[in-house]
Amino acid sequence: MREEALAGALQRRILVVGGAGGVGKTTTAAALGLRAAQLGRRVLVCTIDPSRRLATSLGLKTLGDQPRRLPLGHEALGEMWAMTLDTKRTFDALVQRYAGTEEARRRILDNRFYKGVSSALAGSHEYMAMEKLLELSADARFDLVVLDTPPTRHALDFLEAPGRMMGFLDTSVLRWFLRPYFVAGRLTLKVATRTGAMALALADRVLGLQFLQDLSEFFLAFDSMYDGFKQRAAQVHALLRGADAAFVVVAAPASHALTEALFFRRRLGEAGMPFAAFVVNRVHPDPLKAARGEGGPAADLSPAFREALLRVCEEQRRLAEADRRALAALLETGEAVAVVPERESDVHDLRGLREVAEALLPPRPAEAGAGRRRGGARARAARPRRPRA
Amino acid sequence: MILDRLLARRLVVLSGKGGVGKSVVGAALALAAHARGKRVLLVEIDAPQPASRYLGVPPSGQREAEALPGLFTVNLGLAATMDEYVRHVVKVDLIARRILESPVYHRFVAAAPGLKELTTLGKIMVLEEARERWSRRPRYDLVVVDAPATGHGLAFLKVPLAASEAVPVGPVGANARRVLAMLRDRARTALCVVAIPEEMAVVEALEFARMAQDELGVRPEAVFLNACHERRFREAEEAEVLRLSAAGAQGTVAPGVPLSAALFAARRHLRRRKLTRFYQDRLRRGLEVPLVSLPFLFTDALDLGALRILAERLEAA
Repeated sequence: MREEALAGALQRRILVVGGAGGVGKTTTAAALGLRAAQLGRRVLVCTIDPSRRLATSLGLKTLGDQPRRLPLGHEALGEMWAMTLDTKRTFDALVQRYAGTEEARRRILDNRFYKGVSSALAGSHEYMAMEKLLELSADARFDLVVLDTPPTRHALDFLEAPGRMMGFLDTSVLRWFLRPYFVAGRLTLKVATRTGAMALALADRVLGLQFLQDLSEFFLAFDSMYDGFKQRAAQVHALLRGADAAFVVVAAPASHALTEALFFRRRLGEAGMPFAAFVVNRVHPDPLKAARGEGGPAADLSPAFREALLRVCEEQRRLAEADRRALAALLETGEAVAVVPERESDVHDLRGLREVAEALLPPRPAEAGAGRRRGGARARAARPRRPRA
Repeated sequence: MILDRLLARRLVVLSGKGGVGKSVVGAALALAAHARGKRVLLVEIDAPQPASRYLGVPPSGQREAEALPGLFTVNLGLAATMDEYVRHVVKVDLIARRILESPVYHRFVAAAPGLKELTTLGKIMVLEEARERWSRRPRYDLVVVDAPATGHGLAFLKVPLAASEAVPVGPVGANARRVLAMLRDRARTALCVVAIPEEMAVVEALEFARMAQDELGVRPEAVFLNACHERRFREAEEAEVLRLSAAGAQGTVAPGVPLSAALFAARRHLRRRKLTRFYQDRLRRGLEVPLVSLPFLFTDALDLGALRILAERLEAA
């Protein structure tokens, strides 16, 4: 069941990897991407990541905002590409493309508010990720785009944040608020309502006139682009609800991460977005289950050594037991749950990533390529290609 | 020793990647200071599960609550703190309410970059500066802040820097400059990094320290390496684990515990130990700041007892 759910997800065009921060989301996204590439798909893994974590898990020093192909050798029938998202550059590119006139373009790009804080707008990371997703999903070089979501404390921010940015940019509301600046470019308190006047007076008091002027100029220049932004946001929303998309929710066995994961899945359901599977990382193995045989007669050990052995065994058994209880909550949902055992070392190279990939979705005996060397050129030629859009 | 250095300040800000146990380290630090008879305030920001749960008291909220005599906790909501600030500035209750109820305000505040964060840092400054009414002595001897783990922790701390540049005039700009001055004042504030012995957490800690220095002009005071696996075997015993494993030794260690199971656990332990030492070295070499290692606790639930173990380690460090 879990294998079918994940295997099915890897056959879609868009795979969104969500979850709370610190649960191994980026590694999981990269591992799923690698697995899909092993299965013959041309995959792009895109991360929104100021800390360049994907680069770390791919064993690369840096990763730019342009897709870069990874050297997978002959093991994979497909291709794996990776990139990180640069929020500011994506925003700039959108302005370049959609500002109607050269003048409007310059007015936005040169605006002090835009330059200083546009990429810091709450939700702009998430919004730009969605824009990028729309662009990449139409890119003929890739069959599958795996999107790693921004590190947020609340997993759901990813779904809600774009709306926050659009709410802010919604000029029909802010125009009302900033009308005096649109009209005269200076502070006049002839606003429609008394609350408006009070809010404006407050804004002036806390933010200062200069800032409000920059802001109103920005909105004025942005006005012509707003509808386009809104339309594309709606397109992405439709894309994410369609049959081409799948969501994987990553968790770790800690209770906080699991609660978030369950909540995320429910919200996906409410939003009509296709949930595929949970992935639980770093699950501790039970040493007693790893034992070979019953043991037999008492081993000849010094008391101190025996004591120490029992202690580490008990400690790890306790961890495994806690994980098992935590996992039960996910299994109760009846959804597919893929468990990745805690590894002996961190994943920070392709080899480690490969192990995670194959733990997520074990290769079938008949599967060509995975984990085995093969005649690259021939295998590649034999691979059925998706018709290019 | 590290505790002496931190207690010489008034504000300790903890930063680090999500999932490294920042809130646990923050609570342990508060507890260690409290054990020295200090009045301590532990500040969390929008914590979904505030650290007050470790202390066995009801979840803390917007107001400071006394968890233990002299140990206070507060869980500042970014939005709630913003509203509080509006009420403070507007003063007239009716007008404040009208503003807070208007949809424009909510849309603006929900997305306006850094406004809530700046207000929250301002609130922390107010708490740090708070004095008793009559004696005029500081209300808290130490304020410990568990900074939110967004993308990288510096984003939160850089807000006042960005704000003082974007809003050069007006009260927001002035507040931003005051907050920035507080964060940069080494006699007043200690910035600390929390990590765990894992590649990405350590890379992020190193990156954070470098960026704090370059972009904020603040050098971290200490690194807390949480969840370190500690020695369980003597050296000869470690060799014995490997020898017995290689020989495929059979037998039982205790009823129901085959030797092979114990050796499996022991080998995992040894590898974790090796990783712990590797990252301790890397942090020591990469950062010229004191490294404090805290043990991995094999407990099902973190409670006051577990926190006290960590607090004692902090005291001894």
